[in-house]
Amino acid sequence: MLKTVVFPMMTFLLGQTLMAQEIILERKAPVSQVYKEAVEAEDALPMNDLNIEFGYVLYQTEINTDTDTESGELELENVRDYAVVYMDGKLQGTLTDKGKKLAIKADPGNHTLQFYVENISRITYGPEITDNSKGLFGNVTLDGNNVQNWKMIPLNVRNYPIKDLVFEQNPGTDTPGFYQGQFDFSRPQNMYLNMTGWGMGEVWLNQRYLGAYWEEEKQQSILIPSEDLVPGKNELVIFELKNNQQKKISLSPTPIFK
Amino acid sequence: MIINKTSILVLPKQGLKKIITITLVFSSLRTKIFTKRMKAQKKSKHKIDEYRISIYKYIKMICLLGLLVQATLLKAQDVIDLSGTWGFQTDVMDFRRGSLSPRYNHILQETIKLPGITDDYQIGHKNPYKYIDRLTRKYEYMGPAWYQRDIEIPASWKGKKIVMYFERTHWLSSIYVDTKEVSRIDYVSVPHSHDLTAFVKAGKTHRITVCIDNRFQYNTHKWNHAHTEFTQINWNGILGEMKLMAIDPVYLEDLQVYPNITDHSIKVRLQVNNDTKRKIEGKVSLTITGTNHSLKKEVAVVSTDSVTFVETNIALGKNMKLWDEFNPNLYQISCQLTTSDGKNAYQHEKKTTFGMREVKQGKNHVLLNNHPIHLRGNVENAVFPKTGHVPLDDASWERIMLLMKGYGMNHLRFHSWCPPAAAFRMADKHGIYFEVEMPMWGKDAEPDEARYNFFRREIKAILKEYGNHPSFILYCNGNEITGNFDFIEELTAEGRKADPRHLYSGSTARTRVKSDQYYVSQQTNRGPVKVYEGLPGTDWDKNMESDVDVPVISHESGQRCIYPNFDEIKKYANSPVEARNFEVFRDLLKKNGMLDQANDFFRASGALTVLEYKAVIEGLLRSGKSAGFQLLSMNDFPGQGYAPVGIFDPFWDSKGLVTAEKFREFCAPTVALLRYDKSSYFDSETFRGKAEVYNFSNSALENAKIKWWMTDTAGRVLQKGTLKKQTIANEHVSPVGEFEIPLKNISSQKVTVHLAVNDTIKNSWDIWVYPRHQNLMQSTDKVLYTDIYDDAAKKQLAQGKTVVFYPSPASVKGRKSMFHNHFWNPIMFAWAPMTIGNLVHHEQAMFKDFLTSYHTDWQWWDILNYAKVIEMQHTPQQLRPFIQVIDSYDNNQKLGIGFEAKVNGGKLLLLALDTKTDMDKRPATQQLLYSIDNYVNSDKFSPQVTLDETFIHSFLTK
Repeated sequence: MLKTVVFPMMTFLLGQTLMAQEIILERKAPVSQVYKEAVEAEDALPMNDLNIEFGYVLYQTEINTDTDTESGELELENVRDYAVVYMDGKLQGTLTDKGKKLAIKADPGNHTLQFYVENISRITYGPEITDNSKGLFGNVTLDGNNVQNWKMIPLNVRNYPIKDLVFEQNPGTDTPGFYQGQFDFSRPQNMYLNMTGWGMGEVWLNQRYLGAYWEEEKQQSILIPSEDLVPGKNELVIFELKNNQQKKISLSPTPIFK
Repeated sequence: MIINKTSILVLPKQGLKKIITITLVFSSLRTKIFTKRMKAQKKSKHKIDEYRISIYKYIKMICLLGLLVQATLLKAQDVIDLSGTWGFQTDVMDFRRGSLSPRYNHILQETIKLPGITDDYQIGHKNPYKYIDRLTRKYEYMGPAWYQRDIEIPASWKGKKIVMYFERTHWLSSIYVDTKEVSRIDYVSVPHSHDLTAFVKAGKTHRITVCIDNRFQYNTHKWNHAHTEFTQINWNGILGEMKLMAIDPVYLEDLQVYPNITDHSIKVRLQVNNDTKRKIEGKVSLTITGTNHSLKKEVAVVSTDSVTFVETNIALGKNMKLWDEFNPNLYQISCQLTTSDGKNAYQHEKKTTFGMREVKQGKNHVLLNNHPIHLRGNVENAVFPKTGHVPLDDASWERIMLLMKGYGMNHLRFHSWCPPAAAFRMADKHGIYFEVEMPMWGKDAEPDEARYNFFRREIKAILKEYGNHPSFILYCNGNEITGNFDFIEELTAEGRKADPRHLYSGSTARTRVKSDQYYVSQQTNRGPVKVYEGLPGTDWDKNMESDVDVPVISHESGQRCIYPNFDEIKKYANSPVEARNFEVFRDLLKKNGMLDQANDFFRASGALTVLEYKAVIEGLLRSGKSAGFQLLSMNDFPGQGYAPVGIFDPFWDSKGLVTAEKFREFCAPTVALLRYDKSSYFDSETFRGKAEVYNFSNSALENAKIKWWMTDTAGRVLQKGTLKKQTIANEHVSPVGEFEIPLKNISSQKVTVHLAVNDTIKNSWDIWVYPRHQNLMQSTDKVLYTDIYDDAAKKQLAQGKTVVFYPSPASVKGRKSMFHNHFWNPIMFAWAPMTIGNLVHHEQAMFKDFLTSYHTDWQWWDILNYAKVIEMQHTPQQLRPFIQVIDSYDNNQKLGIGFEAKVNGGKLLLLALDTKTDMDKRPATQQLLYSIDNYVNSDKFSPQVTLDETFIHSFLTK
């Protein structure tokens, strides 16, 4: 009986000593630095037609909203697998194959509408299996009106040399981008980066690829192998697609699950 | 047996009301007896000494019919074999409930032999169709079917528990005794044991009618391999052992053995059921036997209640033998329960096999007996076309286990199904590590309480039924699950709590959950870990991507499609399924004028798959931080569009593409590996190899001698050397040294680099060495080289001269050429390339100076990746492209990259190949062009087939 009392106390004390180390991400490189050559077309083209197997594409268009409506309903025919919607650089929400409608607020006039779309993987079963189109395709409507004249810009996120990114003091903008921070580490040991609060994206440590994250997953941490940590200054870069306005992140000695 | 103390204590966790502890002094055993009791008793504490037996009690609310008084000792266990002829009737319309004459009220009008399935007797819908996406079931049946027998219950069975046992059935089995439905069971993965005690009378003949309903009892995914028409068909019947058993009313309901390798002991946990409602006393005699090992122990049992758990620890001593893949030492335990209620004596025996092994979660590997193991596995999808159902016999499974061993494998993943006991027995015997799953896939985790409850029952049943098998090391709920992962976490956590003898994982290749102890996936959050195809260089691995918080196993690697072997059609004569899709494919090939090439397509694409699998497996073996891989698959998968990706056909017969011995060079407990940049070289370059040894055998290689050498095609040794003599640790992939071979003066186009460790571990890699060529494709008066089909080309042909036309890939309609053959199959995944490798007409004169086999090998990489596939179906039938691309078998069009023909009176050789981009990095392309130059300038160049010029225009984009 004694043991069962002592154990939780020990865990509690242990938790106190292993205080999470916080890393402040003060600098940002806008996503435009990793734009690849744009393709323009009347209709949104699936990633397959852009020769993109996996990764991200920015679908961008200009819209003109009515003078008498302040908000409109945006509806996609197909989105695979995940889109983050921005209007004039402001986050409007996210869309997936299961939720393809989004109410957006816009003053009358011209606006830039952007969909940052991620293709998570190929379909491996189910009714859509014979159509493995990815990205944004089919009709896109705003209040029932077709949205056309798309510019599709593949984003070279995964293979862009991190050293070539130009960071500046975080301007606090909403749009996707790469966030940079530094932290000191004295005792190299396996650690986990606690991604709780971040939206979707990828992480590099000391310019080496570390892994990916998504807030919808139960798993909310990425392993940092001890050999990837260097004694002294370590550089962390996070590409964030959704931009949850996080400015810091912490390390944890154990994996984090929701 | 001396009972010396009695007291009461509280068992806090189980929430049971009260517990009585009785301490017995008993030889040197540490023994516990738990009896659960619902009746409230007073709380007290008791200090337990070393020789103790605790009895936790509870009375189960059961209703017993008749008196259980019997003055004489009954024979312990009586069995009536139920195999043989049964009455039978279909119920296609499922009208049994509505009928005025339910089936069980009448003698069924037909007969069937059991064990068996309806397909064996051609029962059901005679299928007129030819399915394209799978083998075609000759007689389809899905619905309730009725099986009946009048059974005399022996008079001597009075007072006994009577159980009807079916080893495996699909999916719901219901028992009707005379006119009453008395029992329904819907387990998929374990036997059905129907308790008929309350419904039958000893000495009386009962009409037993069994309804087997193979319809989907829950709204589950239709592809899981326990049911799917894609592999083992969704059969209706009863298989394996089927019997009626009489058991004494005090019996062993469960026997679980938990090895403790540190203490050299086992914990035996017995569930003693007492249906007598009286106090019983007696003992369990445990006999343990193993190689040169025999032990006997006795444990006292006292209980007044319906369910009693007996736990005892038994030391096996220092001579205990561990179980693993290298030494699959097994033990048998037999438990004899003998009890008495004062008037009657009862006996029951339960046995099981077990192995002394422990499984733990390591950093990157599964630990077996505290040692990292590496899983070299195959995805097992219940492909059994010979019978249409999973085999229940040892011999069939032993064949598969021996094939696994023969091909260097140590692991099978049972993809979305759980095999019967025979599979576990044979894996125990031969040392194969199993991952088993429930029949769960896809959206099965979306909310549906009925379905959830089915899975909650099923996982418990699997753990109870097969938990003792040492081969059962990994449990996963199912394949690629989506939906509510709180439910997946619940199952996984429950499994971990219920049985620590296995490692648990929530789902393959989908959302991770907290209780995961390993992860089978195409990717982790650190990148892709699956390997579907090789590369011409080998200096890569999946270490970084595999390094996460749990051991990671590469999911469904391989999957390279081979053209079907139409000779297999005849193998289905006595099967419940037929390869009617093959007939369709074959007829289409015949219609398209290439039936004579069917075997060549099979052999050429098969050879490509073998070299891809070598590259895939070696890539995964170089990944020392991976826990292993599961190849999809060693045998063909006859559904999901039909995926002939195996080096075995669906009958587990070799396709003759690679021998076991050759396969073991790159897939075995110890494999010599070599990292190098590329496969094709100029002779001015130097080959650089970095040697590694994958050693997941059970010992280090002490003072290993490591040799490398290079041979030409005649087997002559061109260069040789040794690496530093060294001890190569096991449980690692170790770099063992580097070597260089300057390639100047090598005249053989193809050479083989060999690596050997101690002369026993050998592996080899083909590389290609070519001279640099200048001034290729120079036009002369006789031969015009052109990348456009213009007036000059036409004129040249009209003069009876030669034109070599090499249109740029962009100017040719049609598919992109690709080195790899199609992934899985082109019917399920209709994406690029939609081709299944290439057939090279290598004996023709244009290849005189370009060494090639009939199939493409890695030297073709820098050719095929720069080429375009021309649709050639509308050319004369005799015209066969010398580089012939093998089309998807459901399309079977003639395709080519290079061909020759007589056009407009002249001689044309066409090659749809980019001959300009990066030519200084494409030694093989240079050599091929050189060979073609020589050919077109020789008198050997004499095209036989006349081709209309309109065809040339038909495949050009402008």
